[in-house]
Amino acid sequence: MRALLDALSMRRLDWRHGYDLMKETGLSSGTLYPLLMRMTDQGLVEAEWREPAQPGRPPRHAYRLTAAGFALAVERAADGEVVPSGASFV
Amino acid sequence: MKAAARALMALAVCSIGENRRDWSVAMRTEFEAAAADGNALAFAFGCLVASWRELLTSEEGHYTLTSYALVLGLMLPMAAVQIGCALLGFPYLYPGQGGLRGALLMGGEHEALMRNVYQGAVPPLALLLLLLGVGHLCIAWATLERDWTRAARIATLAMAGSTTLIIFMGGLFLDCSRALLQATVLAIELATIWMIARWHARLSPAIIEHPG
Repeated sequence: MRALLDALSMRRLDWRHGYDLMKETGLSSGTLYPLLMRMTDQGLVEAEWREPAQPGRPPRHAYRLTAAGFALAVERAADGEVVPSGASFV
Repeated sequence: MKAAARALMALAVCSIGENRRDWSVAMRTEFEAAAADGNALAFAFGCLVASWRELLTSEEGHYTLTSYALVLGLMLPMAAVQIGCALLGFPYLYPGQGGLRGALLMGGEHEALMRNVYQGAVPPLALLLLLLGVGHLCIAWATLERDWTRAARIATLAMAGSTTLIIFMGGLFLDCSRALLQATVLAIELATIWMIARWHARLSPAIIEHPG
């Protein structure tokens, strides 16, 4: 979960796609999606269908941290874990 | 390779529960991005693992597994027994006397007297058993589709058919023990379906709360 929190908190306000998160975190889809589901259930991550950049493609599910999710990322960072460089506290 | 990945992906999408339908669509959409990157198989396999994890850890997953266990472990074998019984000379309906041969009293003292009556009874008996077997298949299908109205309608017909079979066997062959046994299994099946339908009704608000 830490890798995912770090990746999402890097650009907190940006919507991110599942496959991009996989590449960034090195997690497999079998680990990433259950994590995203749990984090969404717990209100740490919000999910939304976003129109694709290329026209003609289907909408893609995108994710970003909620305020609670970002607070958790900051709390974990304060507990001695790596602070994500470039993390936006907005 | 890509066909195998697509097959795995389709299985993953089918395995995920109703309340996670949005996630299965999300995975399928991302699959195209992974395929364009040459990672289709690994991505699809991961999605399958994710959906099976969900099956094992969520209540809706437990519900789905229970439904399939009931269908595969009880309803389909019962359908096979009844259809087999109808096609293979009633081996499971007329105990201890060689199935149809026994029922027709072959070699018995009363063969000459009763043979015509019994031979006349065989086609409707076979048809009834065949219909009961097909009824089991239809109930199984309705259970997996969660169509409880259809399941109840077919179950009523199956119970009527089973009762007819008991009367038929008791009246004509003076032995309805196997027919009673089959009716008991049917009653157990229907009671289990009723419990599963109640479970589904309890889960449904959660499904409506998280559509997809």
